[in-house]
Amino acid sequence: MERDVTPQEARAALAAVDRGRLRVIEEIDLPRWYWWGLAVGWIALGVTTDLKHPWLTAAATLVFGAVHASVAPRVANGRHRTRRLSVRAEVAGRQTAWLVIGGVATLGCLTVAGALAASADGARHPVTIASVVVAVIIVLGGPQLLAWVRRGSARTAGR
Amino acid sequence: MTAAHFDELIHPSTRLAIVALLAAADWADFAFLRDRLALSDSALSKQLSTLEDAGYVRIDRPLRDHRRHVRAALTPAGRAAFQGHVAALREIVSSADPQHALA
Repeated sequence: MERDVTPQEARAALAAVDRGRLRVIEEIDLPRWYWWGLAVGWIALGVTTDLKHPWLTAAATLVFGAVHASVAPRVANGRHRTRRLSVRAEVAGRQTAWLVIGGVATLGCLTVAGALAASADGARHPVTIASVVVAVIIVLGGPQLLAWVRRGSARTAGR
Repeated sequence: MTAAHFDELIHPSTRLAIVALLAAADWADFAFLRDRLALSDSALSKQLSTLEDAGYVRIDRPLRDHRRHVRAALTPAGRAAFQGHVAALREIVSSADPQHALA
């Protein structure tokens, strides 16, 4: 049968193979609830910090860190947006989880910088203000980060 | 480097589409495959059965939300056959266009 397959047919079959891979790449993402949960937790942590009870801030930070540490390993790799498909690790790329964790760490620094700026400006609740701004960045920017990852995976698939 | 081997069982377009999608996934839900490939339930079942009989696909039926779900995944043999088939297709293309193969 192989001899009956023309180069045009073989090209069409290879294009179908690429489409199959791209269909899976489209599914690389984090569940929406992760971004919303992270944003709500971020604001809650900011509000708690502005209450100026060190023990409460420490406890809230520990709870936030523990919850995030238990959830992130399962979803931050971008392979399980839905329960209908598990994307292979080499297709999703190993960098996705590091990008998400690195992004969260960067946003932590951004919150501190924003809170210091708001405090210097005389704001009554500087950490809350900074955390609300960062929460908006999380909800709007998180999906954009994963869209960028998908474009990278699609480029790799096209090679 | 995967050895090129043209696989007649995988080559038909519907089966190739199913296997290509499963090759990029650990597993896929039956409904996901049906929706993405725009197949009817019966057409997808038939193709999956053929692939399962050949030892290329494993079908699991895990219980989730009190319902049985059908999941399909490529077996190691299926993955090897798919990679060999893709290599064979590339050979056909490159033999017709050697300059393209070198690029």
